Amino acid sequence: MFASLTDKFQTIFKKIKNKGKLNEYDIKNCLHEIRIALLEADVNYKVVKEFIDSLHDKIQQEKISESLSPTQQIIKIVNGEITLVLGCKQNDLSISPAPPTIIMLVGLQGTGKTTTAVKLANYFRKKGHLPLLIATDTYRPAAIEQLQVLGEKSNLPVFSMGKNESVVNIVKAAIKYSSKKNNDILIIDTAGRLHIDDKLMNELQEINENIPLQEKLLIVDAMAGQDAVNSAKVFCDKIKVSGIILTKLDGDTRGGVAFSLKKVLGIPIKFIGIGEKVDNFEPFYPERMASRILGMGDVLTLIEKVETAYSKDELEKLDKKMKGHNFDLNDFYLQLKKMKNIGSVDQIMDMVPGFNNLKNRIDVAKLGDREGELKKIEAIISSMTVEEKENPSIINGSRRKRISRGSGTQLSDINRLLKQFYQIKEMFKKGPKLKNFSFN
Amino acid sequence: MNIKNIFSQFKEGLYKTREEFANNLGFLFSNSKDKIDFLEKLEELLILSDLGISATAEIMNEFQQINFREYKENNFIFFKEKLKVILIGILNSTATDIKINENRLNIIMLVGVNGSGKTSIAGKIAYRLININNDIIMVPADTFRAAAIQQLKILACKVGAEVINTKEGADPASVVYDGISAARARKKNIVIIDTAGRLHTKRNLMNELEKIKRVIQKEANDCSLEVLQTIDATMGQNAIAQAEFFNKSLGVTGIALTKMDGTAKGGIVIAIKKELSIPVKLISCGEKLNNLYDFKADKFVEALLD
Repeated sequence: MFASLTDKFQTIFKKIKNKGKLNEYDIKNCLHEIRIALLEADVNYKVVKEFIDSLHDKIQQEKISESLSPTQQIIKIVNGEITLVLGCKQNDLSISPAPPTIIMLVGLQGTGKTTTAVKLANYFRKKGHLPLLIATDTYRPAAIEQLQVLGEKSNLPVFSMGKNESVVNIVKAAIKYSSKKNNDILIIDTAGRLHIDDKLMNELQEINENIPLQEKLLIVDAMAGQDAVNSAKVFCDKIKVSGIILTKLDGDTRGGVAFSLKKVLGIPIKFIGIGEKVDNFEPFYPERMASRILGMGDVLTLIEKVETAYSKDELEKLDKKMKGHNFDLNDFYLQLKKMKNIGSVDQIMDMVPGFNNLKNRIDVAKLGDREGELKKIEAIISSMTVEEKENPSIINGSRRKRISRGSGTQLSDINRLLKQFYQIKEMFKKGPKLKNFSFN
Repeated sequence: MNIKNIFSQFKEGLYKTREEFANNLGFLFSNSKDKIDFLEKLEELLILSDLGISATAEIMNEFQQINFREYKENNFIFFKEKLKVILIGILNSTATDIKINENRLNIIMLVGVNGSGKTSIAGKIAYRLININNDIIMVPADTFRAAAIQQLKILACKVGAEVINTKEGADPASVVYDGISAARARKKNIVIIDTAGRLHTKRNLMNELEKIKRVIQKEANDCSLEVLQTIDATMGQNAIAQAEFFNKSLGVTGIALTKMDGTAKGGIVIAIKKELSIPVKLISCGEKLNNLYDFKADKFVEALLD
């Protein structure tokens, strides 16, 4: 996530790191690089301009202190500024005191409204609510069916009335229906529409005027370009959007649109979509995103995810193992299995400080992310003797041959596995100490 | 169909884009105090149009050389012509549209990230080709997205194309295999394959596409294969990475630019052409089945600036 921007900043800061002190030339150079990085990330031109101006003033005002390195200082300032742009605190969705809470999702075509509707419903169900999805995309072929199928898969109820009813009527009927079924959260999936399509924009206005909507969420594709600000503005003008959900953040998009939207529209980004599964959905935390952009990792998110995947005992054990540097192949395999529950290795590495540097050196794609690879690793490790598992350094050429025969894999597979193991072990030594995190 | 007619429709679709771009140009020119001011405004204009840093830098370079005062006196036309020449120079596309080979089986495979408009454009392409007397079979190889098969079926029914029957969760490569066999058995000359949207960074999903391509190469080695990647015109610079990855995996033969009916300026076309040498072949500009146009670099730039 935001990978390239992160890389860019790190390169810039590496350049500065080697100098003891910043002069005006350094600052200019640094700002220039930051500007290009932001523009390449699709942050809106005008937003970048303002951002750079305010950075320049901040950096100049800041007295270079003796105790902090210039890198640390600039990181601190840039981080603060990015957080400022992204918004300062997390904005939860508001729940109506008198149920049902009605939430409408709107956006351009193909931004991910239907997928997000189901993710959102699933999110609320986890919190103990009884959500109802309402299918109102009467335009796109099979759109209603798409929501029905997705709802069925996740065991979530979907209300629909076919293609020939007006959206307001569908929603009114759904409200009636929900009172019988005790649904307290209603999520309206609307048709994708262009902001310049007056007929369809009027339809949204009509819903807005006739239905008591608690939240109106604009779904925005994280890969969007400069125009995103313009289309979002029209949606906001027409129906007073209350929040934004950013989708498809699991790709390599730099997601500059997050920056622009918050700055230009002043509307909070509330959730992000980070994958095709119904669980790949998280609240948006500006501070975390800002640190992530700067390559400082997203430790808080990781901790939350780790907490749901590990029990406390397991964590203490793991922590001890790492402290004692006796992390062996048994642990390696166990961790890979666990990691699968937390997310892909790639995702995890993005979140840990210092690890996104290492990412490039490790062939992440080959690292246990896929079912098949994990099975192979399992076969290899179970073909090892107890001694070999505990002390992999004894695995010499002839042992490798034996393991390869025993597991039905290639010698190169074994070499790769061992290489990965040592890399990971090294990472744990150098990387953040788990004991510093508060796991409780 | 009358070419002129098609183009005027195309222009109509681009109306908003054009108006905004041209207005900006006029404004830009008449309001610049000096060369530095002018260049800054030009940069703003190009970046806001999603041209990307490197295409923008190239254009800026060309304008660094000019004598600003002379240009100002010679009015807006001069400047516009120069910009036009530069933009066409980057696009520099020898018009390559979708060619149908009459003696072979033609396979058009649509690929792209989620929500970029693959299924919709599959319907539009089928509609266009059926109108010039082709026999088409459509293959719903998107067995992942809920109801994607149904969506393609409805479109196929609308345009009068046959469609392969399959169900959600089926192996896409085997659906494609069925599609090719059916095309041969039923003497169809065109197969249109709609694949599931996927982010270019998902290795396993890209492998799945590569497998589909292998099936095509094995089962229809003699076919004329068009791998068309849909790129959403509202996308920013990530579209370049998308094209790069899909191309590396599949050898993309052309780009179909979708959703050109909004206010996104379509500068990404210029960025893509500059970064990669994949030709843009089609432009989709509206929700109707006939809102599909061949991409012509000169016409595109003209429509943008006139």
